[in-house]
Amino acid sequence: MPKIKKKRMGFVIDMTPLVDITFLLLTFFMFTAKFKSQAESEQKFVIERPKVSADTSKVPDRDVAIIKIAVDSVTNDTTYYFEVTNEADRAQVWGMSKSIPEELKAKAQLPVNLDMLSELVGNTKRVRNETQFAIDADKKLRFKWISDAMDVLRKNYATKFNYVTEKKQ
Amino acid sequence: MAGGGGQLKVERQKRGKASNRKKMKRVGFHLDMTPLVDITFLLLTFFMFTTTMATPQVMEMSVPPEKTEIEVGESKLLTILVREDNKIFYFHGSEDPSEIELKNIKGLAERENLKPEVINELITALKPSDEADYGIVVSILDELNLAEIAITAEVVKKVDKEGNPMERERRFTIAPMNEEEIAKIKDL
Repeated sequence: MPKIKKKRMGFVIDMTPLVDITFLLLTFFMFTAKFKSQAESEQKFVIERPKVSADTSKVPDRDVAIIKIAVDSVTNDTTYYFEVTNEADRAQVWGMSKSIPEELKAKAQLPVNLDMLSELVGNTKRVRNETQFAIDADKKLRFKWISDAMDVLRKNYATKFNYVTEKKQ
Repeated sequence: MAGGGGQLKVERQKRGKASNRKKMKRVGFHLDMTPLVDITFLLLTFFMFTTTMATPQVMEMSVPPEKTEIEVGESKLLTILVREDNKIFYFHGSEDPSEIELKNIKGLAERENLKPEVINELITALKPSDEADYGIVVSILDELNLAEIAITAEVVKKVDKEGNPMERERRFTIAPMNEEEIAKIKDL
């Protein structure tokens, strides 16, 4: 009897190892993922932070108020921005500060001048005294911008603060 | 599926009631995993692209509360100035300033802080010009922080007057340059 050749219709690859490793990577990335904050997604600038050698201290996770000094990518103006990470505190601070224009009240981070900055820093300290302050500035800026911001912090008795930096590769 | 088996079943039923239906053994069964893999890869790529690996770091700073003047012995003061063109100068007390390269600051700080007569008492004052780059100021701070490791290691070995081991107490301040200092380094 002649052998009947079997026609290979569909052929199957075992995908189990592939699925295993993909799920492993997926869970890893899902747990490590940290999403952009509302303030970060609103901003129209990129801050090129100064690079420093390895230091283990990280930006605190909670109750931080960040003074950002950045060059707007559209208008090329340098501006101060103020952000409070704790949402409940932010609502209170924004509510207390009279100098904020109505249309900006919904924003997570505000473009400010030095007088507004001083009021906001003072109110932030009033709402939560242990809030930590950080200055996040572009490395190409003149030091004047930073020293003015430091003066504002000093006048509001926030004598301890942080410079936000990036690790040198 | 029912074709061949069905006929066989009918024949058997004619023969006797007791005979059971012959069960087909399922040997290898395949599940189509393609959609699963598709969606998993999609999610994987999404998370890979949205995640940020390099979280920013911080450098701690502290400034004196208000503009307070503190009397300091001149021998205990090391001043580092940064000029508008980002050139760095240093001097002790009221000596004449001399230029220094960024990479030599660490060595300078270690040397000065470990001098036996001022050990643990030296005050470092960093005075950047308003026109200097913020980047260079942070680089100097970084160098000073690096020097701190060696200084601390050395200081804790020493004992103070009462015989207790010393603790490193860092004295550092950041301030704007005054007129006198601007004039001093103007033509260097």
